[in-house]
Amino acid sequence: MGQLSLRAVTKSFDKAEVIKPTNLDINEGEFVVFVGPSGCGKSTMLRMIAGLEEITSGEIVIDDKVVNNLAPVKRGISMVFQSYALYPHMSVYENIAFPLRVARTPQADVDRLVSRAADVLKLNERLKHKPGELSGGQRQRVAIGRAIVREPKVFLFDEPLSNLDAALRAEMRVELKRLHGQLKNTMIYVTHDQIEAMTMADKIVVLRDGVIEQCGSPLELYHKPQNKFVAGFIGNPNMNFLPATITAISPASVTVKLNDGNECTLPVSGDCKIGDEVSVGVRPADFHSGGNIKVIPDVVERLGNETVVYANTLSGAPICIVTGGMVTMAGGKEIAVGFEGQNAHLFRADGSAFERNVNLNELELTA
Amino acid sequence: MLNKYTWWELVLLYLGVAVFLMFVLAPFAEAFAVSLRPLDGLFNIPYEFITDDMTFENYSIMWKSVPNLALYIWNSFFIACCVTILALICIIPAAYSFGRFTYRGRDGLLAMFLGINMVGAAVLIIPLYKLMLTLGLLNTYWSMIIPGAAFCVPTGIFLMRSYFLRIPKELEEAAYVDGASRLYTLWRVILPVALPGIMVVTIATFITAYAQQFLFALTFNSKDAYKPLPVGLYDFFGHQTVHWNELMAASLVGISPVLILYVFLQRYIVAGLTSGAVKE
Repeated sequence: MGQLSLRAVTKSFDKAEVIKPTNLDINEGEFVVFVGPSGCGKSTMLRMIAGLEEITSGEIVIDDKVVNNLAPVKRGISMVFQSYALYPHMSVYENIAFPLRVARTPQADVDRLVSRAADVLKLNERLKHKPGELSGGQRQRVAIGRAIVREPKVFLFDEPLSNLDAALRAEMRVELKRLHGQLKNTMIYVTHDQIEAMTMADKIVVLRDGVIEQCGSPLELYHKPQNKFVAGFIGNPNMNFLPATITAISPASVTVKLNDGNECTLPVSGDCKIGDEVSVGVRPADFHSGGNIKVIPDVVERLGNETVVYANTLSGAPICIVTGGMVTMAGGKEIAVGFEGQNAHLFRADGSAFERNVNLNELELTA
Repeated sequence: MLNKYTWWELVLLYLGVAVFLMFVLAPFAEAFAVSLRPLDGLFNIPYEFITDDMTFENYSIMWKSVPNLALYIWNSFFIACCVTILALICIIPAAYSFGRFTYRGRDGLLAMFLGINMVGAAVLIIPLYKLMLTLGLLNTYWSMIIPGAAFCVPTGIFLMRSYFLRIPKELEEAAYVDGASRLYTLWRVILPVALPGIMVVTIATFITAYAQQFLFALTFNSKDAYKPLPVGLYDFFGHQTVHWNELMAASLVGISPVLILYVFLQRYIVAGLTSGAVKE
């Protein structure tokens, strides 16, 4: 229970098509995160799954049943809103019990189910309080309690942590992940925070302008992004893109000449010809000192465990480097950095990626 | 925000408040003073606010000189209550619809409602008379209740709509996702949250209904038994004399229901009932 599919789903507001035809399969028990910049359609997509927005065309299928015209409850979903949307005049108990009251559940069952939800969420002490008397994290848990109490097939979360402060967010992230382990329901989670996406998801769906750019496990997206957008979006700080030109092609590798440095060979494959303009993608942490790229550090952020250096190449292109916490580096003083070709990514001018010869299984994952 | 005023700014502020209060409260003070005097003590020259002959006698005489007085006060109260209830029954669903749904002609309809408010009842009194005549409602309570409610509805809708607009949409969406129907949501979620707003509209409607019944009562009703206080007060007008002192006493007693209601209801107008609904 909890298998969900989108089949050629679209959504238009007036003439603007905010969701382009989209196909997506979500397996039972998966924790799926929709991630993307603001306005990419991730919340709209969630609301379409929830039944709060009508879909313009296509089919939404939950457990082999087309649910296009069904109310949320009939779809077997429940949703946690960004603003919590608690009922301010009801106690925590009544808030959690609301879906049961709607369904006219007998009082004995209500008591049992609410106290079980409260146990899971550690809200037993708070059942008699009004939402106004609770802290942000507790309110969030009440909202989750209301969602889990009627045991839906699919949980939907619409940026549930974005109203919490950083420390609480990290804590709730772990709690949600633990909750998923306990309940084993399908969960769909919308966020713009790629750290939440990376840490919580079984499967990440990256959206841009109503199109799914890529869909896969966190490490798959990290190591094998299909295009420049996904590569730039996943990973923090963002990936650097260095302009380059192809100089040689062999079956298992491509050699490029960096505009700001020397030639290097990347173990990638894909259609291309000599002389193509390409971008070499290098993650900030993959740089090492001593190489052929000369950069001038501009701002140095020392975080203790690591140092983040925002620098410019000699031609003025910005570049970000993450290095060890103990490295001393002064702003304005030229340094030389380099990277290993096997760590780099290669993108065509249209943004699509060359296939990297990385075996994800070797990285101890099953994609 | 820091509010620091110099002493003369404070004096000016209080002076302004005092002038305004004088203007508003002076008629009440004068009415009260008149109600305490005997009839022949009313026209003394020079004018004195406090005189030796003041008594509360008029407050007991008035019930005897106009035996229907209690009935008139009751009628006023009864009509105003009916108007308020009838108006609220119309206002709340209408305001909810104006505030939450999008449909063709919504804004035009709202503008029309407000337009009616600008015209006012006095202009429409003759067509209304004809309407009441056709419906056979003349000389009944209904002839005062129905038009009274009708003219309270537009303002009420406008007030209530702006209150509904302030209630976050997620509250309804959450209830919808939890399986509640529109009506269940309105009844169990929206109305309790909107209670302070409903109280404001209730008080505003009641006061308007209490104040505006004169026109409808004078035009549509000639039966003593159904007269509300403003029309009933004419009974103090004798053939030769007008009993001003008793009239003022009766008026003051007559407005007391509004005052009492206000005292009871105003504690409901508290902000913060929505606190905790959403993160601000």
